[in-house]
Amino acid sequence: MTTQPVTGAVPSADSVESQLLAHLEERTRTVVAPEQDLFATGVVSSLFAMELVVHLESTYDVSIVGSDLKQDNFRSVRRMTELVLRLRAGDA
Amino acid sequence: MPERVSTAATLVEELVGDNAARWDAAGEIPGGVLREMGERGLLCAQVPAAYGGLGLTSAQNGELTAHVGSLDSSLRSIMTSVGMAAWTVQRLGDRPQHRELLTGLAAGRLAAVGFSEPDAGSDLNAIATRLRRDGDQVVLNGRKVWMTAACYADLLIVVARDGDCAAAVAVPADTPGVVVERVPDPLGCRAAGHANVRFDDVRLPASAVLGGGGQPLPLVVTTALAYGRMSVAWGSTGIIRSCLRAAVGHARDRVQGGGPLAGHQLVARHLADLKVAESVSTSSCAHASACWDARSPEVTTATVMAKYVASGLAASSAASAVQVLASAGAGNSHVVARAYRDAKLMEIIEGSSEICQLLIAEHAVASSV
Repeated sequence: MTTQPVTGAVPSADSVESQLLAHLEERTRTVVAPEQDLFATGVVSSLFAMELVVHLESTYDVSIVGSDLKQDNFRSVRRMTELVLRLRAGDA
Repeated sequence: MPERVSTAATLVEELVGDNAARWDAAGEIPGGVLREMGERGLLCAQVPAAYGGLGLTSAQNGELTAHVGSLDSSLRSIMTSVGMAAWTVQRLGDRPQHRELLTGLAAGRLAAVGFSEPDAGSDLNAIATRLRRDGDQVVLNGRKVWMTAACYADLLIVVARDGDCAAAVAVPADTPGVVVERVPDPLGCRAAGHANVRFDDVRLPASAVLGGGGQPLPLVVTTALAYGRMSVAWGSTGIIRSCLRAAVGHARDRVQGGGPLAGHQLVARHLADLKVAESVSTSSCAHASACWDARSPEVTTATVMAKYVASGLAASSAASAVQVLASAGAGNSHVVARAYRDAKLMEIIEGSSEICQLLIAEHAVASSV
């Protein structure tokens, strides 16, 4: 599956969140809640963790390295949404 | 091969010459060779030009890696280690760490990466090496086993527990408390400098922790392994190429039963399988590298598949090549004999074939319609 990068205007929190929920549901066959802890509930496997990072980077045209890779930023869909928006705003 | 890659490949050929068998027997590659390779940026050729690296794409570095692997799997293993260290720094490190560490690696510092422990092999969740914070310092304790290239390394990138999370720590090899013990008699890649390494109260500035740590263990491990697997996959492709070359050359020239070996059907079958293995392995690696260069999320699975396919084909190809050459290739330092020993390790390192199968099956189930 290829997703065109979202360039241009900073996307809204709602749209990023709903896209991520749909992506997780499609990739893990699990319905995920926005604030669900993805590590504690075993949704994110070792391979999928990396895939998720690359997915966020390529979909939202951001670069996630170093301290932005902290576990807290990936704990839930809401946290990932905040990360994407923060990185997009930083670019603007 | 693009020109800069073929130039690099030629240089490596000159450096290796006909020494691979000798280095294998001695269990060591001369420091000057590694220094020359390192200073030219060949051991971590994907480091961006901004840090003094060659800035090769994954596809280009892959071809270079296969070429080195076709000449000497020990040297290629060291290349895998240094490249994996650089990639881990690039991905998990912050900007000041990029400047310091990537620049150093691109200029020739040698590095090794430590994952496996006495009680954490295929289950890296069991990693027990631990990082403790102490003011503006950190203290590292634990043991790593079979760290490739650690005997040569200036810098050790060590995966450790960091509270509930994980961290990769950049440890200069001469830090007090670091004890490097060579693995005495490895089966393959015998000159790759495998070592078991102890970290006893190793005290470092907090700035040694890549990205400040606190990263998810699966992410830290998979990040580093992604590069390592890609490199092992390409290196395995190189092993297959050297086996194909040796087997075809021998089967063409050696006459038995009134004709060249290649004319005997049971030998010809080996040659066909070797040719197919070379093609399949190359395609699988090229696909994974294309995903890497396109920043496609598919890269993680494609890389595991390439590593699984290429290492398995390297092992079967090496066995075929030894069979075709028979006594001509059975001297322990012959290229196909080395391939036979080296390829077996490729089925084990950076995630055994069985672990790769589990990951691929998990992906197949998760992505089924």
